[in-house]
Amino acid sequence: MTPTLPTDAHPGSAPYLTLRHIDQFFGQFQALKDISLSISEGEFICFLGPSGCGKTTLLRIIAGLDCQSSGELHQAGRDISLLPVSERDFGIVFQSYALFPNLSVADNIAYGLHNRGATAQQRQQRVAELLATIGLSGSEHKYPAQLSGGQQQRIALARALATSPGLLLLDEPLSALDARVRAHLRNEIKSLQAKLGVTTIMVTHDQEEALTMADRIVVMNAGVIEQVGTPQEIYSQPASAFVADFVGQMNFVSGEVLDQHTLKIGGRTLHCHKCRDFSPHAQVRFGIRPEDVRLRGHQDEANRVRGTVTQMEFLGSFMRSRLQVDGLDAPLLADISMNELRDLNIRPGQQLDVTLPAERLHLFSH
Amino acid sequence: MNDSLTLRQPKPTTAKPTTARPAAAARQRPLRQHLSRDEIILRGAMLIGALALLIALVMPLYSLLSKSVQNKDGAFVGLTNFARYANSPSLYNSLSHSLTMALVCTLIVTSLAFMAAYALSRSCMPLKRSFRVILALPILAPSLLPAISLVYLFGNQGVLKSWLLGDSIYGPIGIVIASCFWVLPHAMMIMLTALSHTDARLYESARVLGSSPWRIFFTVTLPSAKYGIISTAFVVFTLVITDFGVPKVIGGQYDMLATDIYKQVIGQQNFEMGAAVSVILLFPAVLAFVVDRWLQRKQAALITARSVPLQPQPRRWTDRTLLLGMLLLSITIVGVIGMAIYASLVKYWPYNLSLGFSNYQFDLMDGGGWGAYWNSLRMALYTALFGTGFIFFQAYLQEKLRGFGWLKHLFQMMALLPLAVPGMVLGLAYIFFFNHPANPLNGLYGTLAILVICTIAHFYTVCHLTAVTALKQIDPEFEAVSASLKVPQYLTFWRVTLPVCLPAVLDIAAYLFVNAMTTVSAVVFLYSYKTMLASVSVLNMDDAGDIAPAAAMAVLIMLTCMAARLLHWLLSKGLLQRSQRWRSPA
Repeated sequence: MTPTLPTDAHPGSAPYLTLRHIDQFFGQFQALKDISLSISEGEFICFLGPSGCGKTTLLRIIAGLDCQSSGELHQAGRDISLLPVSERDFGIVFQSYALFPNLSVADNIAYGLHNRGATAQQRQQRVAELLATIGLSGSEHKYPAQLSGGQQQRIALARALATSPGLLLLDEPLSALDARVRAHLRNEIKSLQAKLGVTTIMVTHDQEEALTMADRIVVMNAGVIEQVGTPQEIYSQPASAFVADFVGQMNFVSGEVLDQHTLKIGGRTLHCHKCRDFSPHAQVRFGIRPEDVRLRGHQDEANRVRGTVTQMEFLGSFMRSRLQVDGLDAPLLADISMNELRDLNIRPGQQLDVTLPAERLHLFSH
Repeated sequence: MNDSLTLRQPKPTTAKPTTARPAAAARQRPLRQHLSRDEIILRGAMLIGALALLIALVMPLYSLLSKSVQNKDGAFVGLTNFARYANSPSLYNSLSHSLTMALVCTLIVTSLAFMAAYALSRSCMPLKRSFRVILALPILAPSLLPAISLVYLFGNQGVLKSWLLGDSIYGPIGIVIASCFWVLPHAMMIMLTALSHTDARLYESARVLGSSPWRIFFTVTLPSAKYGIISTAFVVFTLVITDFGVPKVIGGQYDMLATDIYKQVIGQQNFEMGAAVSVILLFPAVLAFVVDRWLQRKQAALITARSVPLQPQPRRWTDRTLLLGMLLLSITIVGVIGMAIYASLVKYWPYNLSLGFSNYQFDLMDGGGWGAYWNSLRMALYTALFGTGFIFFQAYLQEKLRGFGWLKHLFQMMALLPLAVPGMVLGLAYIFFFNHPANPLNGLYGTLAILVICTIAHFYTVCHLTAVTALKQIDPEFEAVSASLKVPQYLTFWRVTLPVCLPAVLDIAAYLFVNAMTTVSAVVFLYSYKTMLASVSVLNMDDAGDIAPAAAMAVLIMLTCMAARLLHWLLSKGLLQRSQRWRSPA
């Protein structure tokens, strides 16, 4: 299977934002390589990737904060490739929030309304409306320094939305917050976005954030798009070993495809549905997620292997265990739920049969 | 819009062949974003600013350099001027005198400043705030004031003449004492910064490991202040070797490089020779500048954001010894200043010691009269007003304007340049450039405007760095946010950046005002009879033998600077109180 590059927006809706062949060079270094992407109106898109993958660079190009070396951008039918920031239509929330410290909450939110001919009364009304939306009514006269991180975050969001932009850009908006606030705001931003229906692009390196919030995730690595898809697609059908490894966890073992149904890893053969995507004798990387390793209740006799538990790591709701499987060089990680652990009475050093379900096996070209 | 939000079914990903393009083709013509009207205006402003610095700084210096290799008729003569100066016995004298004085003062002032800064930042002695104020006082007076005061204390009719055991105060002794006096506050400021930024965890570790106090001092305190000490030494060296006021008043026959320039230009009207000596004087200053920049870079890496500030612990004998040292230092400073004030009030030294204000009737003497004082006040106000506005706005553009990298780079270099140029050299450079008949700006010569411009240029670097530091501390995304909200950048400058940076802006204004009031070196070549300045008139009255009125004028300048500092303090305090609500969390 060759990694696909789906760049089309969902059928039935005209793309709201289209990026075509975006390249970005910083001196000799190419930060973005031929990025093409379509986003439809109202979508919540996450750019996900490790630091240095180019996701923030791409966001800054969409905002016009940096100019791409080549390529085109179209927003709502308008060519915005070369427009300065002030002539584009978006609101932005930065990681630092960039709230004006010397202005009150109301003045911060109304900052963009001043030069749009809004009367003082209209501005006041809009501020009250937005504060009600983000659940911070009554804090008009406070200053940013008097608010908590999560509250500042929401004020920054309200300021970005005050002028009703067509596009909302969020640059790692939650990374400066502690875990609990982050989980709470995740839901809040998502439901606010759904309510307003504003097309949104969020940059994040946190896979959990991307999986829970996005309609579609754009996984990036080293300046290229690895995969575009819904959270479920990204997780269950990763297009590349990188995606599989970056989103969730995966065991990787080198192997060889034998025919349409079987492959050979180490000294043994396994059934695998994905084999039909490869020609016989192709060298592949075989992958399986730790939670897909079954310890009981699976009838796939052909894919049953014998292993020894060598190490166990307690992770709360489950036990991540390291299995030494016969015929494999590298140990296999398997997640064992606490129920299984109790029922099967598993201990380090124990031998057990595990199944690697044929439909759960992933294959990636080398 | 809403139906596009309904849950989307996972769509099988389909391969879409992307048209392959050679990457090299894309790199040939990088795209350029259109400029917004905002950016065009601000870029224009920055271009004008850079042009202004070019005219007020680089071109005069170029004139000076080219003049140093020309003869009286303007013909190129190579290094003849230098050779002539090198062959005259005066060069050897002046050079060795200048170096000796600078080295001796460097040794004394660096030690004193370290002691004082250590006492203020690392001890638990009482009266720290008062000491801090007293030690900063000399910066508010022209460097001529301690020299004049020394004349009254140790001069031929001085009250303490016997203390010198027959030596004369006119000469190296006087130069060293007076120089140390006025340079000390500059040195102490650098040293205080170096010593106050330290990591308490280092001291805790050293104590836990059982090190003795002396060992801690030599293995932790000194090394961490190392860069501050070297930086201080270089600053002191430069200030002393380029100063001209002190040796002029109290140097007697002891020639130094700076006085040589003055003599060549004012005394003998030998401009070319003055230029040559100026170039020689540039060397130590440029060297000090380069070393200082290099150290600044090293110093920055020393302190991390995670450092824990040190809380000094009481140490009985150390605290007492330091207190004694600080008392002696403070008494000396207050004594020198007090002597100048007293001398300015005495009717006829040393015969009629009754007090009065007769010496303040400047209009009765040569030297510009009260007009000189009002000129100085106006000059200082204009310098503070226009200088602060220009410097801060240009620093803002340099920090916050998008793109224009090459100009920013050029601007930064020009902004740092004045620190390496002694005042006398700049003043002389101005004569060559602005007094040239072919210069369209020739009309500026002899006006108050040229004094203001020269003073702003002279003190540009410290102000620029203050502004840049303040601007770097505010969120770099303010401009991006305001552009996304379609608010013009200048509006954000006015509504957000300026209010947030107001303390730094006030600092710059106060610094410029005080320096404009006290400076002699650059403006001594540029004043005309209509624009006589108070600080220059101190020099001229002293030259004419009217020492008491000179002391009076020096005292007047100092009092004005004190008033300005007081105003600055009150404004800053009021401002902080008003902005307390947004500057600190509730």
